Amino acid sequence: MTAPTILLVEDDPALRTLTARALQENGFLVRPAAAAPEMWQAMEAGPVDLVLMDVMLPGTSGIDLCRSLRAKSDVPIIFVSAKGSETDRVVGLELGADDYIAKPFGTRELVARVRAVLRRPAMERREGSEQGLVRFDGWTMNLGRRELASPDGAAVELTGAEFDLLSALADHSGRVIARERLIELSRTRLGDSSDRSVDVLISRLRRKLSSAGHDAPIVTVRGVGYMLNAPVERS
Amino acid sequence: MRPSIGVIGRILAVLLIAILVEFGVSTFLYERASRFSVQEDEARRLAEHLSISRKLLAANAPPRRAQVAASLTTDRYAVRWDDDRPTPPRVAPSLDEMRHQVLVWEPTLATAHMSLRLNSPGRNQTVAGEVSLPDGSWMHFRTLQPIAGLNLLGERLLLALIPAAALMVLAGTLVRRQLQPLRRLAQSADRVGRGSGEHVPEEGPGEVRRVVGAFNRMQDRIHRLIEDRTQALAAVGHDFRTPLARLRLRAERVEDRPTREAIQGDVAEMEAMVASLMAYLGGSEEPEALVATDVAATLMTLADDAEDHGLDVRYVGPDHLPARVRPTALKRALGNLIGNAARYGRHVTLDLEQTADTVTFVVEDDGPGIPPDQLERVKQPFVRLDDARGRDVGGFGLGLAIVQRTVEAEGGGLTLSNRSEGGFRAAITLPRR
Repeated sequence: MTAPTILLVEDDPALRTLTARALQENGFLVRPAAAAPEMWQAMEAGPVDLVLMDVMLPGTSGIDLCRSLRAKSDVPIIFVSAKGSETDRVVGLELGADDYIAKPFGTRELVARVRAVLRRPAMERREGSEQGLVRFDGWTMNLGRRELASPDGAAVELTGAEFDLLSALADHSGRVIARERLIELSRTRLGDSSDRSVDVLISRLRRKLSSAGHDAPIVTVRGVGYMLNAPVERS
Repeated sequence: MRPSIGVIGRILAVLLIAILVEFGVSTFLYERASRFSVQEDEARRLAEHLSISRKLLAANAPPRRAQVAASLTTDRYAVRWDDDRPTPPRVAPSLDEMRHQVLVWEPTLATAHMSLRLNSPGRNQTVAGEVSLPDGSWMHFRTLQPIAGLNLLGERLLLALIPAAALMVLAGTLVRRQLQPLRRLAQSADRVGRGSGEHVPEEGPGEVRRVVGAFNRMQDRIHRLIEDRTQALAAVGHDFRTPLARLRLRAERVEDRPTREAIQGDVAEMEAMVASLMAYLGGSEEPEALVATDVAATLMTLADDAEDHGLDVRYVGPDHLPARVRPTALKRALGNLIGNAARYGRHVTLDLEQTADTVTFVVEDDGPGIPPDQLERVKQPFVRLDDARGRDVGGFGLGLAIVQRTVEAEGGGLTLSNRSEGGFRAAITLPRR
């Protein structure tokens, strides 16, 4: 398998060099670009597996650039933002970015995010960038915004790992998923309680998904794994 | 600006209206008294009594008249004879209508210069009057009992009260109307610095309009100032993060491990400071929407996250508690409180309390607490209690100030206290919406 190609869009020359080097050292091919025009050129130069883009670019804003890029291509996008604000994150994810990383980042975090996004199946990504609503037992998951709403409409905060675990369970609803497979699936996002055992995550999820006199629809199959015991509806 | 009479002009206008109304009502009262009428039999009885008394007095010689007059006094009418012409009556409403009624029965009394007037020294309304005798002497009379239907006292009181009450309502309304722009100004002044400022319409008296205009311009200047400062600092924060990112990546290449870790620690501290400064200064730039949220799940997540980072943070509250909050701001505020608690205490407990109209988020630790006289001071920005809570604490001392401001903007409160069993307690109380 050839090394994945990453298109790096960053206006600060020194940071561009440092980031490129960090990625190269971890086995990625990097095509650097300083701004939007260079990015479009680089896109035409050959296939790109992922775009890593600073939101605060000179000229076009990263948000606009992300929108026009998404209109032309399904390439995975990771936003880099120095603002670190929640609004940026949500807007970015809604526009079709696959992940978001805040400045300043370390090599480990950067590489983990890049690998996680590359590993995510293309279909899930597309779902995430569209409506991507998953409903079960009254609960609604918004895959794009990574949000969960309770049957009475209240937003329920989940950690990244919990969300991934729940969406993995929803993907295979009615079927038992082995613990090992779940660990693999719920580790797509690093940095969020990655070393927590699945059992702990499941018990946290259960508590959040329970409602008065009504247990969470997650079933334990002793010695095997877990199952989401509710019909799943997607839109 | 359309011309306007000033506050003084308006008050004078109110006074003038009040005086005119009072004058009009008094005139009406006297007018009404003169048109006062009694029952027909009352008028007839008085007419007959006067007519007979007059004839009897006239038939008697002057020396006997006083005696005759006394005998003519019944329990209803008092009659008195006098040689002289009566002194003109003091200010007392004359009863034209009643006089007319009496004259219908005894037209002869008209030629006897009968006069009637309302006599009201005490509580009972009586009528007094005079009739002249053919020889020019005068018979005086007055009713001893209040004349039936003559409840003029009550009516007068009422008539005096109604204009007074009407005047007060009128004057109150007029003054209130004049002060309306001032009230709006006060409300708007209260909102300055919280969210978007709105212009107060320039209405009302000239003086008030000038104040409102000056206020609006001041408000514009303040908003421009805040905006400029926020933008400048956000730009600084952003530009600061790019070299920080470079530094962080470069630090990874430092071979010497202690040096590398020291640099990484410094970068992390600087990043935390930039983040808190941005949170403090940029707080108002993008007002977050209220979202129905299970705040119990929010606290669970915060506790779990902290636990995953090796801290002992436990959530002991109910499993669910829906409330309408601004999730990011709330999480930042709670995160600051939890960060403080975990820094000074070993065990941290999170709890939720609710009443019918509030939700309280409680963060407790088992650390040393803070001196009671510093409890209010630590909410101020850039205040750090280095001596009391350890010297190794980084940051600008904005953590609690951010919490305080977030909570205040929601109409809630931040309560800090030392727990009686030891440790520190921070509680955010928010109104339920």
